[in-house]
Amino acid sequence: MTTMNASSGPGMKVYVTVWLGMLGIAAAHVSGGTLLAALIVLSFLEAAIALRYFMHLKYEVPLLFWTLIPALLLAFLMMNQFWADSARMNTFRFP
Amino acid sequence: MTHLMEGDVSDSAMTASVLHESPMEPSPFLIPSKKLIMWLFIVADAATFGGLLFGYGFLRFGSPNWPKPFSFSPNIITGLVMTVILLTSSLTMLGGVAAAQEGRRAATMKWLGATALLGVLFAVLHLREWSAMIREGWSLTANPLGGTVLFGALFFSITGLHLLHVISGVIAIIVIAIGFQTKRLTAGHVETTGLYWHFVDLVWMFVFPLLYLLNVH
Repeated sequence: MTTMNASSGPGMKVYVTVWLGMLGIAAAHVSGGTLLAALIVLSFLEAAIALRYFMHLKYEVPLLFWTLIPALLLAFLMMNQFWADSARMNTFRFP
Repeated sequence: MTHLMEGDVSDSAMTASVLHESPMEPSPFLIPSKKLIMWLFIVADAATFGGLLFGYGFLRFGSPNWPKPFSFSPNIITGLVMTVILLTSSLTMLGGVAAAQEGRRAATMKWLGATALLGVLFAVLHLREWSAMIREGWSLTANPLGGTVLFGALFFSITGLHLLHVISGVIAIIVIAIGFQTKRLTAGHVETTGLYWHFVDLVWMFVFPLLYLLNVH
């Protein structure tokens, strides 16, 4: 019988462990200084943990992850690589 | 890896009998449509926040006279307290979702009530901080420290959009909690609202380091 039930989580014990880990990352953020690369890496690590455990992406079918997340990361990459160039458009000479 | 189990949460609209009689094929993601729509909203909203934060990054590094108005005490300590509040509210939200999936309505109300209270506390702390900054002379178009006025514009815009999400989330949680208590809404609704709330938490994980920690003098 096919059902489309919402996915179940791993239970409060795992959630509390993940919550403590995320509190640790938040503390690392503050104590880690102002190095941009370190802050970004910690933020993405925290986001990945939140997506995987709190938002249950780990417990959904893999297709959901592959449909949503790579496209979003590609959009971020495009913003990072090409957006700055768009500011130069005013000086471009169009034919 | 799929861990979908029957009977975890029955979404009444998504029973096998309905699917057998429906001319439509089942979702390839094996989730109810409201949950899929929330995921699509979250991805679109993440792109919105991403665009704002990338724009902030380009403007910040392109401005030679960027102000650094924050100090460790009280700004960063307050920001850290707000982070802990938001992370804890995610935990209480998970408690609410778990209780709803088990059909424990009273427990669901308590967990969701705690989540809403933590959301309100976050918003109050945020508005208190805004108020202090405005008293110092910060606004969308003013910089009391001298230099570019872009900091105020970006800070209030980005944190304002996030605060709007928090306030909307608190309202949604209250509405969903009442609906679940009165049996008009299902555990699926609670779980979908939880997805949104975790996303609001997730966005703060980027806003706090980039807007606060990078601007400490």
